[in-house]
Amino acid sequence: MTSERYAIGLTRAFGGAILFGLPLLMTMEMWSLGFAMGRGRLLLLMGFTLAVLVGLSYFSGFEKTFSLKEDAMDAFAAFGVGVITSALLLVALAVITFDMGWGEIVGRVALQSVPASIGAMLGRKQLGAEQDMKAEEERKQEAGYAGELFLMLAGALFLAFNMAPTEEMILIAFQMTPWHALALGVFSLLLLHAFVYSIGFSGQESRPEGGTFLSTFLHFTMAGYGIALLVSLYVLWSFGRTDGVAVAEIANMLVVLGFPASLGAATARLVV
Amino acid sequence: MNRQYKTGEIQTGKPAQRVPWLEWLAAGIGLFLVLGVFGVIGWQAFHGATTPPVITVQVENVAPVEGGYRVLFRARNGAGEAAAQVEVEGKVSADGGEEVSRVVLDYIPGHSARRGGLFFTRDPRTGALAVRATGFAEP
Repeated sequence: MTSERYAIGLTRAFGGAILFGLPLLMTMEMWSLGFAMGRGRLLLLMGFTLAVLVGLSYFSGFEKTFSLKEDAMDAFAAFGVGVITSALLLVALAVITFDMGWGEIVGRVALQSVPASIGAMLGRKQLGAEQDMKAEEERKQEAGYAGELFLMLAGALFLAFNMAPTEEMILIAFQMTPWHALALGVFSLLLLHAFVYSIGFSGQESRPEGGTFLSTFLHFTMAGYGIALLVSLYVLWSFGRTDGVAVAEIANMLVVLGFPASLGAATARLVV
Repeated sequence: MNRQYKTGEIQTGKPAQRVPWLEWLAAGIGLFLVLGVFGVIGWQAFHGATTPPVITVQVENVAPVEGGYRVLFRARNGAGEAAAQVEVEGKVSADGGEEVSRVVLDYIPGHSARRGGLFFTRDPRTGALAVRATGFAEP
């Protein structure tokens, strides 16, 4: 690994940060959430993102890693790429101007850096030509069930985070009847299971001896949907969407956001 | 297991596999940004980020324009919490009558200011002009 090759990886990381961060970069709610959401929750979200970045670096960073130190360094580098990309683009779009207070500027950049830094981490895989697919597959085999769950969590986080800031999530939840919510929940589960089954979530493990429909369903589909719902709850809570809302209404929101989240969980293996 | 073995291999053997300087630089800048961003947000968390909005309005400029007068103002939120849908009301008492104009500002973040303007048909400079924030909603 030379600096030149690392520079190529870094360039791809910038590309990934722009590509994956773009939808939220141009979402109005993200700008106001940057300064309006609770500072403690924002800090927690950033910490959570860093932890996910370290995990993603293990499975597919912009270079092959061998130790926790290297994974942490890659995570910091991806975070740096995310922050720099977000700051530059937010300034270019006049979302950040220099007569704003520091708290507001940093808040906006920090929130935007969440999708951007995850995009930076995925940039190598998605934009790279020479991929070490074999090493990645080995990693995924080695990590086993816990690794599968982590990948599902990362996928759910990314997609849920892309939808959660918008006003529409709440509005959809408000206008749905319980029957709509139930139908959407069942549909999410079916879709998740179809993906898990057809993509073959963990190579050997999805087709073990005696791997019945029920065991795959419980092991991967139900676990995945559980993760999707938990991630949805966490993201909604982060944005203050659950404050002072009745439990039944929160359940509706979870099913609504759980739909993209479970799709993210199901397809994480394709993207990561 | 496998990973530990590989780590050992790097440390003992091949100098060609050393971490490139660019990686140190990228990770270093990243760490610096992490500390910076976390620092600013953390500092806010402990310095009144949760005090409810206090909004003061300052008139910056009054000018005659086509069809009346324009008053430019600056609304400043002196507290930590952001305010949404801030209504600013201006009242001109002149020529023996009163005229009220209103505008709604979408957001004023904590410790920040937003600018806006009000239009009047009476001249605010000849009478009394009062501009104040009348209310806000939590974002």
